Amino acid sequence: MTRNEIIEKLRDILITTDDRNRAAAAACTEQSKLDSDLGLSSVGMLYMVIAIEEEFRIRFENVGATDFRTLGDVVDYIEAKLK
Amino acid sequence: MNRQKPEKLPLFSKDNLIYDFTKITAGLPGLLWLRPKWLYESKAARKRLRGGHLVIANHAGFFDPIYVMIAVWYRRHRFICGKEFFESKAGRLFRAFHCIPVDRGNFRIDTLRQISDALQAGAIVSLFPEGHVNDGSGEMATFKSGMVLMALQGKAPIVPVYVLPPKPRYRRLRLVIGEPIDIIARYGSRPSFSKIDEIAVMLQEKEERLKELAEADLH
Repeated sequence: MTRNEIIEKLRDILITTDDRNRAAAAACTEQSKLDSDLGLSSVGMLYMVIAIEEEFRIRFENVGATDFRTLGDVVDYIEAKLK
Repeated sequence: MNRQKPEKLPLFSKDNLIYDFTKITAGLPGLLWLRPKWLYESKAARKRLRGGHLVIANHAGFFDPIYVMIAVWYRRHRFICGKEFFESKAGRLFRAFHCIPVDRGNFRIDTLRQISDALQAGAIVSLFPEGHVNDGSGEMATFKSGMVLMALQGKAPIVPVYVLPPKPRYRRLRLVIGEPIDIIARYGSRPSFSKIDEIAVMLQEKEERLKELAEADLH
């Protein structure tokens, strides 16, 4: 799976779950900051992790709500897990 | 309402020795001292809890975990508490009581898994959604929405409990038990972020209603 495909899927996850920031989610890029640009709280971040685990069939190990700064960090993690 | 099978734990086990010993030895003096009065929101709230439930309560003082244990006295509780307590001198006690440590500055997915596993295994997990002892004014601090995520992942109903501490000391401890709220049945297994916040607000409003019941009983 390419990075672009991963971002597409992440965008879909965000649009589905984060109904308050759909415009920001639709326009998100690898540089988007999870807290300031996408408005994700710590609970929102973990909720996204759960959705990613189900979508990509991977398991996040010992990850905290503040461990990822940008969407690109999340893509890096997923990419490494999918290898 | 509850999806889990009842918790099947032995009456006595080495794992729960300290918990049960403390409960038994402190129980009678505690009951005599506090003279707890149980109040119920409705007939449905009187039903004993079987299987996994997430018990939430207001947090007005350091004795609240004891009061919550008295509120649902017939079950063992696993409290969620800050990991710093585990690093203190009392850390062994927290471990013996099977408390679940949480990093309040950086809530971790593994902690969420530990909580949801406990709930799915049929345990009672208890927490104070204000996140800390409130300012003592009688007003509750804003509930954090993490509890909703725990209940969703653990597929367990949430049971609100309101504790009216015995202040002044001669007053009886009042414990108001609310009806279990099955949020998956009400909102589905994957509510949106704004729904999660709405659920947290709804639970706080429920606690406010339980508080009114407790205060009405004083008069």
